[in-house]
Amino acid sequence: MNKNFFGMVIVLVISLFALVGCNTSSEDAAAEEPEATSSEETSSSNENETEAEEEKSGVVNLYTSRHYDTDTALYEQFTEQTGIEVNVVQGDGDELMERLDLEAEATEADLFITADAGNLARLKEKGLTQAVESETILNNIPEKLRDVDNEWFGVTKRGRVIVYSLDRVDPSELSTYEALTEPQWKDRVLIRSSENIYNQSLLGSLIELNGEEAAKEWAQGIVNNMARDPQGGDTDQIKAVVAGEGDVAIANTYYVGRLANSEDPEDVKIAEQVGVFFPNQETTGTHVNISGVAVTKHAKNVDNAVAFIEFLSSVEAQEAFAEGNNEYPVNPEAKASELLNSWGEFKEQDIDLTILGTNNTRAIQIFNEVGWK
Amino acid sequence: MRLIQQVKQQINIWAILSSMFILVILLPAMLVGKHFFAKPNENWLHIKEYLLLDILSNTLVLMAMTGILTTAIGVSLAWLITVYQFPLRNFFKWALILPLAIPPFIGAYTYHGILNYTGVIQSTLRNQFDVQVEQKYFDIMNIGGAIFIFTIFLYPYMYVITKSFLENQSSSIIENARILGGNSIEIFFRIILPISRAAIIGGVSIIALEVINDYGVVKYFGIQTFITAIFQTWAGMSDLDSAFKLAGTLMVVVILLLLFEKFARGRKRYSYSTSKIRPIIPKKLTKSKAMLASGYCAVIFCLAFLIPFAQLFLWMVMTYDKIVTVEFFGLIKNSFFVAAISAVIIVIVGVIIANYTRIYQGIYAKVISKVTVIGYSIPGAVIAISVLSIFVALDNYLLSVFNYFQMDPLIIFRTSIIMLITAYVIRFLTVGYNSIESGFEKIGNSFTEASKTLGVSTIGTFFKVDVPMVKGAIFGGFILVFIDILKELPLTMLLQPFNFFTLATRAFRYANDEMVSEAASASLIIIFISGICIYFFHKISEKGSEK
Amino acid sequence: MFVMIENLKYQYNKSTKAIIQNFSLKIKKGEIISILGESGSGKSTILRLLAGLETPNSGSISINDNVIVNHHHFLPPEKREVGIVFQDYALFPHMTVERNIKYGLRKMSRIQKQQRLDEMLQLVRLEDYKNRYPYELSGGQQQRVALARALAPAPSLLLFDEPFSNLDAHLQIKIRNELREILKHTNTTSIFVTHDQTDAVALADRIILLENGSIGNELKPSELASTNYMLQYRTGLRI
Repeated sequence: MNKNFFGMVIVLVISLFALVGCNTSSEDAAAEEPEATSSEETSSSNENETEAEEEKSGVVNLYTSRHYDTDTALYEQFTEQTGIEVNVVQGDGDELMERLDLEAEATEADLFITADAGNLARLKEKGLTQAVESETILNNIPEKLRDVDNEWFGVTKRGRVIVYSLDRVDPSELSTYEALTEPQWKDRVLIRSSENIYNQSLLGSLIELNGEEAAKEWAQGIVNNMARDPQGGDTDQIKAVVAGEGDVAIANTYYVGRLANSEDPEDVKIAEQVGVFFPNQETTGTHVNISGVAVTKHAKNVDNAVAFIEFLSSVEAQEAFAEGNNEYPVNPEAKASELLNSWGEFKEQDIDLTILGTNNTRAIQIFNEVGWK
Repeated sequence: MRLIQQVKQQINIWAILSSMFILVILLPAMLVGKHFFAKPNENWLHIKEYLLLDILSNTLVLMAMTGILTTAIGVSLAWLITVYQFPLRNFFKWALILPLAIPPFIGAYTYHGILNYTGVIQSTLRNQFDVQVEQKYFDIMNIGGAIFIFTIFLYPYMYVITKSFLENQSSSIIENARILGGNSIEIFFRIILPISRAAIIGGVSIIALEVINDYGVVKYFGIQTFITAIFQTWAGMSDLDSAFKLAGTLMVVVILLLLFEKFARGRKRYSYSTSKIRPIIPKKLTKSKAMLASGYCAVIFCLAFLIPFAQLFLWMVMTYDKIVTVEFFGLIKNSFFVAAISAVIIVIVGVIIANYTRIYQGIYAKVISKVTVIGYSIPGAVIAISVLSIFVALDNYLLSVFNYFQMDPLIIFRTSIIMLITAYVIRFLTVGYNSIESGFEKIGNSFTEASKTLGVSTIGTFFKVDVPMVKGAIFGGFILVFIDILKELPLTMLLQPFNFFTLATRAFRYANDEMVSEAASASLIIIFISGICIYFFHKISEKGSEK
Repeated sequence: MFVMIENLKYQYNKSTKAIIQNFSLKIKKGEIISILGESGSGKSTILRLLAGLETPNSGSISINDNVIVNHHHFLPPEKREVGIVFQDYALFPHMTVERNIKYGLRKMSRIQKQQRLDEMLQLVRLEDYKNRYPYELSGGQQQRVALARALAPAPSLLLFDEPFSNLDAHLQIKIRNELREILKHTNTTSIFVTHDQTDAVALADRIILLENGSIGNELKPSELASTNYMLQYRTGLRI
């Protein structure tokens, strides 16, 4: 009888080991597990000769809300160039931020990639980032697309533009975000819900440029002109333009790019029936935002992390990284994709993106006040 | 003296192991309790004033409507299949369980994809017939749409439970009713519905729990429920306290629901089998009625399985060369591996606890048996947060120990898969446990007693008699847990170790990022694996009811 | 005395009334006792107390001068060497007849086990059935397998809980005669509980009447048969 019981215990213990073991082996195709690497280091640190070599490579651990197939190729390229393995956790930006916060000093994450400057500003505000000193990065990324204290850096750029129906709207009718609040656009404007950070940041930028009062008036005006209650994502707004539910939609550029490059011929047709208009060219410029990267406060592999950002900001990586999501590169030397180029150059809002974080709370309040769902 | 002896008998390996497991299960609940009774902050007052009523009413509407509709569909299907003979009955008998293989969130984005402007219906109408339709009739991203999605993908729970209940009913009930001259409709409403009450209540509470805990559908459709509010409060507002207060409120709702179930079900059980009943012999339907019955089953089957499946298949064909890479096989391996390991652990823990609570029927054992359900009543996100905090503390402690001995830590729990598996065990233990417990309930205690009087110890009896005799229930529990974990989202999203992606998280991230066709391949694999599991599950329960 | 039961008392946790009270009984080696009583009189509980499946509130039991339960001692069922044949037989459905019978045989070599098995199969005349599963047997055959299984480890005391209640009438008569023969042949001390006087008369050396959890009367089978006890018993009259 006891034999049986011990048998059970042994099976349990073995499965526990198998568990840890499999955990390592399950990633052999991509990259090594962090703990596997750390135990390797433990064993190799006993042999002094290999120590120096080990230090040169190592790992960098990444929390990211990006998850495009081209990203993986870039990580592999980085590993090839530097010998540094990239370990990735993909998730929702907000949730990863809270995980990082909960883990505090114990975190394994060295880098954090998320969309929208507002989110990055929040990360910094929570004290989860650290300043980075690197000439390369400063040269590659324009000042206004990075944090004032260099605690985060934009790596790709997108514009929030007006997408209009080629059939029913003449681009000459369009001018600015503000103009969409005029009576002629009554029941014609499509935009997603205010819960979304892209809208919060857009409003945040308008608060900065036009003042709170005007920004609130704008939000109220848009609500009055909405073709329907906000629902769905940016893609749904664009489809609704073609479906005739409204005539203009406010959406990020890459959603249009994605439809144009889709495998589904119906999506491609959608992209062919809409035009992209960069608003506020005569005035304050089109609202741009970034997806960006930060080195975490408690990063264990700071040097590797910096090397990774340097790599991401390089011309070569920028082009691939941006194209993966139909975005604009932040490095002025890098070229945008053909499709984006076909839309032409445009004037950007000239504000420090840090502002978007500062204005975020006020923006949310305004949305609630004007009843923007 | 008897008390002392009873206590002495109770302290044994079973009690110790069970108590240990239960303690782990209780940790998140204790954390929720701690925050629940903490002083409310400003956010909480704001939530209470502006949000609570909305999310409460949304959640209740979703629960109530889904409950009513799934009952109507599930019970009527179970009744048709059990009592009547019609074309394709044997196929529908198990095919109608298949929708369970489609996680509701995948169903949600698939239906949105079918119905939206570029979807197959509208584009066919537009391209072939030049018909433009009013968009609002094709809008599914609202509370009605969510009810539709939940209904068609969750009714199989009701169907399976009432079917097995009806199959175990003596045919004499229905025969008597027929002899007494009731027509079919009358028999259904006057006999079948009332006697199935316990089964229906059991089914409704499972479905209600699934709806309450859904994360994927409501997030995709943008409907405010408890779960989305908890995520927003925690991740959006960075307010752990208020998030846990919401979770505590939800726990109260769930526990009330479970109490209601217990109360309403009374002492009836929804499934029992004795060897002596004469199974119901299906009655042949007239031709037109038979067509109607087949047609009804076919409509449900198409809506709940065939149509979404076909759409996903089309999308997969469109995108598979881009999606199905070497990495994709890694996803399959990860999903399979983590679900299998967790299910094995859950089944082992479940068997130990079920055996304990069965043999030692004291108050303590009863409490333990009830506590297993806690993991199911706490939202996944909250379990994730609790487990994460606990593991962070554990790691920090280990780190300090290792530092003291000037050693490098050999293992960091937090980034290993152990953390995720722990969370799964907490979450799904009750699913495995209930299956095993009902298995034990069926065999009763006499075999165990016989074994003991033949001189075999409790542990020996456990391996030689108890486990072999409930192995069907154990396997059934394994399969249910396996499918649940395969589909699981919030825990996996929040606790994934580095480089660990599963089919479910990949599908959800593509869909949530408005790249629906890219999500199809991962979704189809989930459906395929779950489908096979469901088929086996069906086989087991068939075999069980034959005996 | 071989079996000594003294002042046994048992009550369910929630109940206020004791189901067994002041129950004392002495049994000689090899004696066959029938406990006769109506359903609910607590007769099955006595068996469960003897087997160790329940713990008494007070009282003591000893077998062959070994105390198996008293106020500071409780021997678990697996250590008591008390065999029991259950009302529903409780044959392990996942084991063949052979494995069922061998189940209780431990501390024996394989050859010894095989010998014991053959002995038992011969005793209950089921030599040709050893590879069958319980569900492939008739009710009477199942009953005999249950007996063989309980007898195989040579228990010091063998208990029977309504052993014939699931059998047809003609089978019942045949089997109980066989059973008495086997028990006498193996000199096994046994206790039957039953509600059927004819069973009690046919099997027992001594009959105990159980009333409200304590011993109401003690009779010889011949006394029970000779008086018109049956009638009185049925009408509730005392003798």
